[in-house]
Order: sequence, then C-alpha cells, then structure tokens
Amino acid sequence: MSDDEHHFEASESGASKTYPQSAGNIRKGGHIVIKNRPCKVVEVSTSKTGKHGHAKCHFVAIDIFTAKKLEDIVPSSHNCDVPHVNRVDYQLIDITEDGFVSLLTDSGGTKDDLKLPTDDGLTAQMRLGFDEGKDIVVSVMSSMGEEQICAVKEVGGGK
Amino acid sequence: MEDDRVFSSVHSTVFKESESLEGKCDKIEGYDFNQGVDYPKLMRSMLTTGFQASNLGEAIDVVNQMLDWRLADETTVAEDCSEEEKNPSFRESVKCKIFLGFTSNLVSSGVRDTIRYLVQHHMVDVIVTTTGGVEEDLIKCLAPTFKGDFSLPGAYLRSKGLNRIGNLLVPNDNYCKFEDWIIPIFDEMLKEQKEENVLWTPSKLLARLGKEINNESSYLYWAYKMNIPVFCPGLTDGSLGDMLYFHSFRTSGLIIDVVQDIRAMNGEAVHANPKKTGMIILGGGLPKHHICNANMMRNGADYAVFINTGQEFDGSDSGARPDEAVSWGKIRGSAKTVKVYCDATIAFPLLVAETFATKRDQTCESKT
Repeated sequence: MSDDEHHFEASESGASKTYPQSAGNIRKGGHIVIKNRPCKVVEVSTSKTGKHGHAKCHFVAIDIFTAKKLEDIVPSSHNCDVPHVNRVDYQLIDITEDGFVSLLTDSGGTKDDLKLPTDDGLTAQMRLGFDEGKDIVVSVMSSMGEEQICAVKEVGGGK
Repeated sequence: MEDDRVFSSVHSTVFKESESLEGKCDKIEGYDFNQGVDYPKLMRSMLTTGFQASNLGEAIDVVNQMLDWRLADETTVAEDCSEEEKNPSFRESVKCKIFLGFTSNLVSSGVRDTIRYLVQHHMVDVIVTTTGGVEEDLIKCLAPTFKGDFSLPGAYLRSKGLNRIGNLLVPNDNYCKFEDWIIPIFDEMLKEQKEENVLWTPSKLLARLGKEINNESSYLYWAYKMNIPVFCPGLTDGSLGDMLYFHSFRTSGLIIDVVQDIRAMNGEAVHANPKKTGMIILGGGLPKHHICNANMMRNGADYAVFINTGQEFDGSDSGARPDEAVSWGKIRGSAKTVKVYCDATIAFPLLVAETFATKRDQTCESKT
C-alpha cells in the first residue's frame, strides 16, 4: 500500500522521533527534518568540494503536515535528522460539530483526538461520504509527535 | 634645380631644428653595472631609465611626498582654522592620511606580506579590499597557497581538487578549513546580534575575523590590533559570501549593514582635514573606485599612486588614469599623481622598499 513503515500503535511509546543519517544518503522521496519540521524531500542537488568549502547537498522538501516548502544546505558528510513517519488506517465513525473526528481503532476502541484535516478537499470528501452513509477509511500520518489525516478512501457499498 | 627645392623641403621637414633640453629635462640613462650592484642606486636609476621604470620612480617620489608632508609645510594658515591648528608643534605632527586599496590577487600572492608589514607598523590609515582580499589572508593562516603554472589545464586541476589563481594553486581543502573555522564565528556573531543588539557591518565583521584569526602573519589581525578600518563593500563576492549563503540556511537572521560602513568610509575622507589625503591603489575595480569616491566627498585627494595593468580604452574605471578621476573631483587638480602600468607584485614591493621601509623608524616612532 505504501513504502512507509506500518504501525498499529498510535502512541510513540518513548521511541525517538528521529534517527541520524548522512546527508549524502538522503534521496528524493525520502524524509528529512528541516527547521524542526518533518519533511518529504522533493529535490536534491549536490555540489562538489570547492571555493565554497565542503561538498554540500541542497535539499528542497515539503513539510508533510503543512505542505510548506523548506530548503536546507548540508555538508554531504554531516548527519541529518530523519523523522520517523508512520501511517495507520482507521474507519471513520463520526464527525463532530466542532471539527473533530471519531475513529474506530483496530482494537475496537475509539480515537477522538484528531481534528479534520487542513486540506479542504479531504474534509469535503469525508463529509460527503459520511453524509451519504458510506464506509470511510482515513489514513492518519504521524511524525515527531504530530498527527494528521492525509488520505481518505471509501470501502464497500452504502448502508 | 626643381629637385634641389624638393630635397630642401623634405630635409627641413624631417630634420626640424630642435629646442635645447639641456637643463630642462632629465637625461635618460640606466644603471651602470660596471659600478657593481648597489640596489638603492639601482632603484633610484628607475627615474631616468624611461617608460614604466620612470613611472615607478615618480611613484616612489609621490609616496615619499605623502610621507614627508606635514601641516607645517603649508605656508598659509586657513582663516577658519582652530587655535590648535596654529600651534607650530601641532602643525608639525599632522601628517598625510593614507588610503591603501588592493584587489584580492595581491593577497593571494606574496604581496600580502608587504601589506601586512604596512599595517603592522601603522603606516597606512584606511584599507579597502575585495572579499578575496579578506578570505585569502585568513585562509593562508589555515593552510598554504602553492606556486603552480599559468598553463596548468583547468579540467586536470578540477579532477585533483586544485584551484588555479594565475600561477598559484589553492587546494579545495583550504576552503574546507575556512568553512570549519568561520561558521562557528557567524553563529557567535548572530548570538551577539540577538543578545547584545550588535549591528554588524562588513568592517566590523573584518575586525572580528582579524581578532579571531589571532595570527601575526595576517594583515587583518594587525588591522584589528592597530584599529585600522578595513572596508570591503563587495562582501558577498567570494568564499566569504559563499559561507554567508550557507549559514543563512542553518541559522538565518544574521544582518550585515552596509549603510554604516559607507558612512564610516566616506567619513574617513570628509573628516581627514586638516590632513591631506593620499591614495595608493593596487589593481582596479571596486577598491580603486571606493577610495576615489570617498575622496570625492572632500573635493579630492592630494596624492594618488595607481599601480595596475589596466588600459582606459574600454572606458572602465579600472584602467582610467588619475586625470580621469580629476574630472570627477576625486583627485584635486593640484594633486601629485602617477600611474604605473605594471604588475603590482613587481612594482609594489620595490616602491615600499624605497618609501615606507626606508622611512620606517621615523614613521613608526611617531605613530605608536
């Protein structure tokens, strides 16, 4: 379904939020922390050692939660922080009037602490599907102590 | 008969009777090695050797006039001058203010050590250079520059991680050392900017770098110690600029104010009175113009020596002779000026040998 690591635990349970990786080994499509934000790399270019000093990697990346573009230039031999990024699927139970969602966990309990996504398209899709009585499954992405619904899909037929 | 008249006409055209120059102009004569090798005499013979040797001789004379000038030499006392300016011993102590400018290649070369000598002994008052003139000074404290050859192929050098400056070679590793050295200093400067409200300028940055390098072979170190300002208006144009670029990604917000520096630079000229001002400019480009422009603010410098190989036929300021600067009011019409068309790595050490170094005891004593 995706190349990201799959977890069924919502909480971090004390695990480190990031791990170190040499800048030269971070590729397009990978993840990197820039200005303390978890980002997905969309562009990498390198420049060799020269008048500007050590060889460097120039990253252009997108904050996975806000979609904001961020840039960094790192000496290629230096370590960068790479965020742990998890994706978990939940079935949508309810959408509250104050903009929160109620989700059914695999263990049968409910998860009620997530807001509707900032992406208006996703929100509209969720509301429409829910109002029509469809079975909605949402993907929740979590990283560095933050979570957000990042994808929505319908499964099965109507009630 | 007809031929006689034609011949006579041609003869008088070709052999125009000359005015006698005896006693009016110096005779051209070079050094006579039969008298043995006497370097001071050899240097003095430049004046009468002709071409650029003569211009070098004249440049030596102009610099010596800069160094010899005292306010006491001025026979007229300005009406609006202060009481202090009328005091004979004060007048005897007022010397010419000297602006020294140079391009970065001279710091890449061994002329760096000539410049360091002048700064170490406070023989110049204001310095203007390019960014390369800054970083090459600092980098030479971290790792050496080597002699190479003008014709070493670029692609070959690139594969070896070597950069060519004329016939000099600078390994890439020198710039890695420079990066490792300077980035933490930028971090500290940013911290001081935030915590102590320091507003950095190029010249303040250079004084700080001179302090941090703490190496007696560096002219920036001595400029810091002697409190001689070093201006670098083109601060971004070099490896130093590259490092500022990289630093702006990691920890953005460092501010370097150029307006304070143009106030300070032009102030050096405007507030020089009652001193005269003299320029010694090696190379062209930004250091040349920046010094000339500052002196325009005081209606021109009183002495100017330009040493470079630039020509003026393309209209670029770099190659312009001093007289062009006179037209802009950057040099006074009454000024003593000379341009030496010579590689400054040849001309400048010779000039210093016959001027600053010879007069060192006198100059050093009164300055310290």
